Amino acid sequence: MRRSLMLDPKLAAIGIGGGLLSGLLGVGGGIVMVPLLVLWASYGQRDAHAISLGAIIPISIAGIATYGAAGEVRWWQALGLAAGSIVGAQVGAGILARIDERLLKIVFGTFLIGVAALLGAKA
Amino acid sequence: MSGPTLYAALVAFGVLIGVASGLLGVGGGTLAVPFLTLVVGLSQHSAEATSLLVILPTAVAGSLALRRRRIGNLSLALRLGVVGAVGSVLGALLALALPAGTLRIVFAVFIGLVGLRLVRDGLVAERRDA
Repeated sequence: MRRSLMLDPKLAAIGIGGGLLSGLLGVGGGIVMVPLLVLWASYGQRDAHAISLGAIIPISIAGIATYGAAGEVRWWQALGLAAGSIVGAQVGAGILARIDERLLKIVFGTFLIGVAALLGAKA
Repeated sequence: MSGPTLYAALVAFGVLIGVASGLLGVGGGTLAVPFLTLVVGLSQHSAEATSLLVILPTAVAGSLALRRRRIGNLSLALRLGVVGAVGSVLGALLALALPAGTLRIVFAVFIGLVGLRLVRDGLVAERRDA
């Protein structure tokens, strides 16, 4: 009906791709949505981040409902992590300007590779 | 760990997740899921489900903050997300159909790739801001 309610097929595809990854792996999906929004749908980096973050709201609700129906959601563990995470995000945003982003990416990336190896070894 | 100790560890690790995602834009999931499996001892499926419940309030808080600063387009983002929710249900059903060991390997490959990309970005971005 109204144009404002229609969604560009490209954006719909990006949403479905991000959603699949989010539901399968328990992550936000921004890691695929942001690059696709920038490179394929021609959004600026900042808008792409904002759109991806907003899209994660319905995407995560659907994932929580699906896992919840299977009895997999641990509510109080989530509450603890979420309480810390909301505080931490303010801190992170506050120190963003004073940090060497390059070094941070290298250190954090190396850490994730290590965690991946550990998970692989224990699987 | 159990009781209050576990809860203190959860909140402390939550702060770390928040700082990392605030700094790098890498969502909490890449950190929350390994923490919940390796440290808290949840199954891969429960860890992923619980991770999504951590991501939701963080995304709501972040989106409201961005909207106050008039960055992005929340209405468009939500419509994109509603379509994406179809993918999310399918993804979660696929995960639930997989054995925990298989799902854990798929997850490990995923964060390994994210790690490689971050390292590459860190090495390549050297002169971009100069």
